[in-house]
Amino acid sequence: MQSHMDSHKKFELARLNIHPFKLKFFGLSFLFLVIIILPFFISDYWIFVFTLAYYYTILAASWNLLGGYTGQFSLGHHTFALIGAYTSALMIIKAGIPLWTGILAGIILTIIISFVLGVICLRVRGLYLALITWAFAEVVRTYIRMGYEFTGGDRGLDAPLLFDTIQPLPYYYLFSGIAAVTITLIAGIMRSRIGYYFRATRNDEIAARAMGVNTVRWKVFAFMVASGLAGVAGAFYGHSIGLISPVLGEFNEMAMVIIFVVIGGLRTQAGPVLGAISIRYLMEVLREWSEIRIIILTAIVIIIMRFFNGGFMEFFKRGKQWVQQKEVREPVSAYEKIEQR
Amino acid sequence: MHLFSQFLIAGLIMGILYCLMALGINFIYGIMKVINWSMGEFFMIGTYVQYLLITYFIGVRYWYIGVIISAISVFFLGSFIQHILIKPMFVGIIEEKMEYATIVTISMAIFFRNVAVAIGGPYIYTPPDYASPTHIGPLPLSGNRFVALIGAVILLALFYYFMKNTWIGKAFQGVAQNRSGVQTAGINVLKFDMIAFGIGTALAAAGGALLAPIFLVHPLCGLVPTVRGFEIIVIAGLGSVPGVLVAALSLGLAESLGSVFINPSFLDIYGFVLLIIVLLIKPFGLFGKEERVA
Repeated sequence: MQSHMDSHKKFELARLNIHPFKLKFFGLSFLFLVIIILPFFISDYWIFVFTLAYYYTILAASWNLLGGYTGQFSLGHHTFALIGAYTSALMIIKAGIPLWTGILAGIILTIIISFVLGVICLRVRGLYLALITWAFAEVVRTYIRMGYEFTGGDRGLDAPLLFDTIQPLPYYYLFSGIAAVTITLIAGIMRSRIGYYFRATRNDEIAARAMGVNTVRWKVFAFMVASGLAGVAGAFYGHSIGLISPVLGEFNEMAMVIIFVVIGGLRTQAGPVLGAISIRYLMEVLREWSEIRIIILTAIVIIIMRFFNGGFMEFFKRGKQWVQQKEVREPVSAYEKIEQR
Repeated sequence: MHLFSQFLIAGLIMGILYCLMALGINFIYGIMKVINWSMGEFFMIGTYVQYLLITYFIGVRYWYIGVIISAISVFFLGSFIQHILIKPMFVGIIEEKMEYATIVTISMAIFFRNVAVAIGGPYIYTPPDYASPTHIGPLPLSGNRFVALIGAVILLALFYYFMKNTWIGKAFQGVAQNRSGVQTAGINVLKFDMIAFGIGTALAAAGGALLAPIFLVHPLCGLVPTVRGFEIIVIAGLGSVPGVLVAALSLGLAESLGSVFINPSFLDIYGFVLLIIVLLIKPFGLFGKEERVA
């Protein structure tokens, strides 16, 4: 059956005279070209919007690595971005070190903190990570708001700019570059041996341990990689915006990351990217209705979780299966299974 | 010494008040093995219902009736939400329980917060005081806190009586111990899940209604009690009921003593430091047992 399908697919593609690998390569290069050319056709405002979208892409993709593939829920992902931004800016302002070392210091501190938290929480069970990172997020936000002599408090902190200009174009390319590197890194991890450790940990931790996977070590590793990437995003974000404030650490930010990932498609590589960019675009278009848009988005997330269990990428997959006239696979959502009874 | 004992009592009172929240979270976790992340929003709904009742309908004199009404209305809301959103978890998918529950309840939390902003606006409403300031011995005490303390103690006692001495409470204990075992004894587990979710959220709402004059009424008012609730159940060890009381009191003490001896601005941090210390010494919490993962 499988080989028949494979041959069928090969036949289809052979008729078009395209190798599958080449098709993917062309698609990605086309996308890359669009991203490079795009700023020449849109206003500065929209360039800035897309820069923010890439920032959220980094957060969403790295959270997907942790929450999606490894199954460990961190609810303090936005806090690691906040820590990266504040550490870098504070080091540069208070200690007077060069800008790049400041960014490096921010990233290193996020990795150290995530290591300590990971070792404390991940020894036990997945739930503890979620509970403790939530508490950690609130504690860090409170500290930054209340320790205003040192951190600037609610007024915010003026971070030095990275490129000595407020033109959004260089920051656009910077963030698209970081996002591309992040996505490539995550794709590389998921195709390597470590990716299989992550998936095995999520699917059945006991079975994974029985097969000789040191699950605690790889869970901590996943947490460190994801939080480190969030720290990278945050550190560069601070130096691109020029003003960082505790608003970055509010729980809405975390919820937005989850919304991007779930609407795009949990446990898919393109899902978080697609989700982050399209939802950010949608949110800019609907800027007039600030609460209503969040209400609608969360309602969509609940509906997706309840009925489809897949997001955008699941629709694409089903569409592809429909076009290729394949038999549709078993329904995965809970609701459909109840209906079948 | 006078100041010290005053802060000691303030810490103990806050500990008992956080207890209601933590007990609600812990009860739902014990029965269904999922964390309800939108607990703070049910707390918030409780404060809003209480505020509406005492300002427009029954007046501040009958605030205790408002507490009961808001608890009951949130009980039905919680049961309904459990019925349409959380129940499918136990009927269909079983393996991705935690992921499903986490994402759905977090979305619910953000949903309710923004609904509150959309309906009531981003304003802070101040309900009138429930009681005038009083004294315990020589120590002055805010009347609201005293009243809330008495209310919380009564609610905790009722909950304890309900769990230990009624048939339904014993059935809940059975469900918490072994879900498939109690089904052989003729208990409809799905129905009990629904009631448990209702009771847990109703405890949060009763806490919200009691604490409305202290935490005030605004869309984010459930945030602080929820974070404390999560810290408490982690310190206590997930699923341990006596642990909740000990953990809540020690958290309240740590907060109030930290604020008097170190710095009152960083109130939130002392509880978290306590939590990290406890977890470093006992990874499963004070009263938590090492569970079989299977």
